[in-house]
Amino acid sequence: MKFGKRLKHQIQETLPEWQDKFLAYKDLKKLVRLTSSAPSSSEGLMENRKAEVGFIYLLNAEIDKFNSFFIEQEEDFIIRHKELQQRIQKVIATWGPNGTQSSEVDYREEMGKIRKDIVNFHGEMVLLENYSNINYTGLAKILKKYDKRTGGLLRLPFIQKVLRQPFFTTDLVSKLVKECENTINDVFPAAEEAERIGEREAAFVPEQSIFRNTVAALVTIQELRRGSSTYSEFSLPPLNLADSDLIQSLQVHSPISIL
Amino acid sequence: MEERPTFPIQGSGPKHRSKLGASGAVSLSLPVPPIPLEEKYPKFPDSQQVSLESELMTNPMAPRGSLVTNNGVVGHIFSSDSGLSSDLQFSSVSPHERHSRNAPFISQLSNSGASLPLSPSSHSGPFHSRVLSQYSEENHDVSWCTDPLPYLDYPLQEWTDNLITDDNTLGANWIELPDDNNTVDPEPKEVYQVPKPSSNFSVPQPQVNQQLSVPSGELCPVASPPSSVNGAPTKPRMRWTPELHERFVEAVNQLGGSERATPKGVLKLMKVESLTIYHVKSHLQKYRTARYRPDSSEGTSEKKINPIEEMSSLDLKTGIEITEALRLQMEVQKRLHEQLEIQRNLQLRIEEQGKYLQMMFEKQYKTTSDKLKASSPTPGDPAAPSSDAVPHSPPKSEVETPEKDCAKTANDAIDASAVLHESSQKSGGKRKAPETRPTEDLEPAAICKSSSPSTKHARVDDTSISSAESPSD
Repeated sequence: MKFGKRLKHQIQETLPEWQDKFLAYKDLKKLVRLTSSAPSSSEGLMENRKAEVGFIYLLNAEIDKFNSFFIEQEEDFIIRHKELQQRIQKVIATWGPNGTQSSEVDYREEMGKIRKDIVNFHGEMVLLENYSNINYTGLAKILKKYDKRTGGLLRLPFIQKVLRQPFFTTDLVSKLVKECENTINDVFPAAEEAERIGEREAAFVPEQSIFRNTVAALVTIQELRRGSSTYSEFSLPPLNLADSDLIQSLQVHSPISIL
Repeated sequence: MEERPTFPIQGSGPKHRSKLGASGAVSLSLPVPPIPLEEKYPKFPDSQQVSLESELMTNPMAPRGSLVTNNGVVGHIFSSDSGLSSDLQFSSVSPHERHSRNAPFISQLSNSGASLPLSPSSHSGPFHSRVLSQYSEENHDVSWCTDPLPYLDYPLQEWTDNLITDDNTLGANWIELPDDNNTVDPEPKEVYQVPKPSSNFSVPQPQVNQQLSVPSGELCPVASPPSSVNGAPTKPRMRWTPELHERFVEAVNQLGGSERATPKGVLKLMKVESLTIYHVKSHLQKYRTARYRPDSSEGTSEKKINPIEEMSSLDLKTGIEITEALRLQMEVQKRLHEQLEIQRNLQLRIEEQGKYLQMMFEKQYKTTSDKLKASSPTPGDPAAPSSDAVPHSPPKSEVETPEKDCAKTANDAIDASAVLHESSQKSGGKRKAPETRPTEDLEPAAICKSSSPSTKHARVDDTSISSAESPSD
């Protein structure tokens, strides 16, 4: 139930439009339970069969859902990425030091906006990666449960299929994320006040939901990998996250401004 | 228009049920002999089988979804499906429709008393075998259709997407792709088919008259399903790439900007095969939104009013704080991204190893059982390890058990490498993760080398068993 709770928490923290796009873990668990319940009669047996088929059915439905959503987001990201690049070029060309209407104030202002936008854009992409990952994890877990309770061998081949699904092949998004990071490093001067990070509460974070969601995601990952009672050959090793205290503190203190 | 009168429509029961019955009847008319599940089992882990299985499972949704949401048009989908069922020449179609008959129509199939010879037997595995065998015994009508399963409310669109995509017989309502579907798209674009992987659907059942030589590349564009389904074309799921987007932008610019460009014009200019006007239309819409409200689309909705932003232009100090906050946000995001990458790679590796060892143990099992069959029925090879003890049991027994044992042994071996990985992970922290990978590589490689399938299975047994057992000491 641990994962179920974590997933629920993630969903609560996530961007509102995403909330119904996550894995229906609870439903799947119900179906697994129904599939493996002791049949008392022929009707009971029938229930089992129906649940079984329903389970597979729902699994595929979920995968489709993930794929659609993911691909759609990916498309948006591609467009926005290009737009941001163009915007930056334009601002530099217009208001930059060598620009046509070089203006420090305008430049700073526009760059400020771009900076906020690009950071949020980066955040959203990373959250999409997180979305992909947490759904994958959920699928792996539920398949393991299924195999365990029904004695089936669905897991291995099914997960192989899942690995190839668009929603899990996040290479493009990953690439965009890295490009984003590079752009930020190139365009925006490195911060001098790095040492203040630890002290500053997240009181003025502009994009509350993205930030909160990101922190929640990190915490979730960390906890999910803390070590499980059913550790097996297919489990991920525990996570060794530097600055985990910082992350925890951010989680506690972040919800300050009102959404 | 797609009504193919190749099946009788049974008028009994609710409308949708009758259609189900009809299609059920059709699928049974196909010449599929009951293939014993045990034979099919070894093929189970094959990815192609899995893809077929997924076909099995996804397609039932199509008719179901349409039943729930769009009764009026169901007939259309159904008839096209079942119409195609009789035409086995449509290789891309046959696995679809035939599988679309399975899950929800198991009740009807049980009614007809068939022994469920459905090609899913090729990929069904234990769970399915139970399902099928049970259903063939029971003869009462299952109230499957009336069960209010919650997930049936899933949007129709996604499921109609799963319908036969490369379906030329669906005719007029489809936007005909201008190009031959057989040509492989040279562009760096992925047009994918959910949930098919890019492998061939070659069902190894000669009795089933299916020509499944169609690579998924041909099936590619998940072209919009018949628009008569919903009245509005559902968004086809095509996967855009930056390169493709570049061409799109170029085309749009040539046509005078995003406002003036039309989807048709852009489509023509782009000259990309298997790109439909629907793709372009939706993409253009997104593009326009992105341009005129930069970064206020998706996710960052306008609700997130940021008073601090307004202040920043007035107060420099706040500006610095903003910058800091952004930096903090960026740091956290970068960290999450890093962790996700690592996690994903780990997950991939773990499954890779699992699959690899599973395959290996199957090979071992096969060669051992062949050896047993060839030689006289001695109780056992003295060199044979415990995992081979199981195949000595009656050959007719369910293939499951020895498979499971093999899997267990495989799992033990994986456990070994996982433990190895974990300990090195712990000692090194996450930054050492890339360096632990070569260690993992050695394990399967070592096992691999000793498992040359030709003759040395005995050695394999010893090696694998020793590697499985030693860490657990």
